Amino acid sequence: MSENMDDKLRDLLCDQAVFGLTNEEARQLKELSDGAEMDAQSYELAAAAIALAETKIEPMPAGLEAKLLRAAEEHFGASKEEIHESIHDQPTQTFQWKEPKPSRSFFDWFGWAAAAVASIVLMVTFFYYQDRLSKLEDRLAKATATPTPAPSLAEQRDRLMAEATDLTRAEWAGGPYEPTKGVTGEVVWSDAKQQGYMTFRGLPVNDANLEAYQLWIFEEPQLEALPKDGGVFNVTAKGEVIIPIDAKLRTISPKAFAITIEKPGGVMQSKRERLAALAPVKPSET
Amino acid sequence: MSSLATGVSVAFAVSVAGWKSESNSGSVLRTRRHDAFVTQSVLQRIADGDQSAVQDCLKSYGGLVWSLARRMLRNQDDAEDAVQEIFLDVWKNASRFDPAQASETTFVAMIARRRLIDKIRHTQRRISADSIEDVLAEPSTRDDKVMQTNVEAREAAKAMDQLRPEQRQVLQLSIVHGLSHQEIADSTGMPLGTVKTHARRGIIQVRELLGLGEITGVKEVSV
Repeated sequence: MSENMDDKLRDLLCDQAVFGLTNEEARQLKELSDGAEMDAQSYELAAAAIALAETKIEPMPAGLEAKLLRAAEEHFGASKEEIHESIHDQPTQTFQWKEPKPSRSFFDWFGWAAAAVASIVLMVTFFYYQDRLSKLEDRLAKATATPTPAPSLAEQRDRLMAEATDLTRAEWAGGPYEPTKGVTGEVVWSDAKQQGYMTFRGLPVNDANLEAYQLWIFEEPQLEALPKDGGVFNVTAKGEVIIPIDAKLRTISPKAFAITIEKPGGVMQSKRERLAALAPVKPSET
Repeated sequence: MSSLATGVSVAFAVSVAGWKSESNSGSVLRTRRHDAFVTQSVLQRIADGDQSAVQDCLKSYGGLVWSLARRMLRNQDDAEDAVQEIFLDVWKNASRFDPAQASETTFVAMIARRRLIDKIRHTQRRISADSIEDVLAEPSTRDDKVMQTNVEAREAAKAMDQLRPEQRQVLQLSIVHGLSHQEIADSTGMPLGTVKTHARRGIIQVRELLGLGEITGVKEVSV
């Protein structure tokens, strides 16, 4: 295969794994891959591994699980019938019945039977009491366990600051938007844990029906036009507030953080008309 | 001059990644075999026709398949239909699972993605401007539980960290959110060809870093 065709085949395998192919592209792939030594599935496995790494797993709705179990019954029911039919299609073997010859006396059999019954009784008793004992232990453990209160946001932030070895820190300064000029505070972020917290002092309470604060994360200077959405939040109390960062995409080595005021729910691209606060990361703080 | 500098840095990054992939691939494969040894039983039991394994399969992969479908299709009803079709595919293809090639979790995710991509293309979905706004409004940060239990997910996260930011962004929008190259071009302002180039170079590098493919030579492509 020529180098050009090799490249074309690889492009198609990449596109198939990431975006899927049109019918025409699928036809081309089939043509090119015929006889080619390329592990087509490996591109799809790489894409699947990325999907696993980047997707937050949520529980499946309970109703859907019930539907799936019904579908499984139908699927496996059909499969079993097929298996059953295929077994019955096998030619049957015939055996000639022979009268069994008595090999042991009545007393031999009685001795063996008594020993077997005694063993069974012993095993059943053992498992019964073991089961009761473990249930009792479970109940005791539950009764003595004390519920642990969920850690506050301040505790969660402090824990991150204490545990993360790759902490990025930056200080908030009020933006050009007049009502937020006096804002101060700090932002902390860990790449490894993909967690961060913002602490604000003086960020005005907002009317959640009219507007929301939105965090933007700048990773690289050349991506200034495309900051990452760090989540939307409301401020409901005066004084110091702590907001967890809700980064929508995995974030690595942020260079700056910015807060804008947007419509409720946030926007995908901000016009940056109301810039509420900025926190550039100093080089030594990354 | 700046494009030359970028080119040099990209070439350097790719060649460094190439060196790393040699040492990484061994450990991934070793761990993958162990991972497969521990978790392969569900699909093998299904392949053997053991109906009781179905519940275990749903317990292990129900959340994963549902989350992939929900994020890529962005519609509850479509996602529910897709999950049913995906599990039928998983049960039918259970015997094809090869523990030497990937973990069971990655295999199930691959089957799920095939069906989801097919559904997206089949319905000729076009995302509206509002929907694109929604795309980034849902959490998609990595899942700690998956990262702890699935070695390939952990290695893929590391590999993603080594990509250029633009490559990472294109792969996240396409693979996680199910956006087409045209939709990514429209929402980011990148030219269509650049989107495709970033996606291809990104997936090739991740594949190599995971030890799934051969180490290719450094070939500079202007983007």
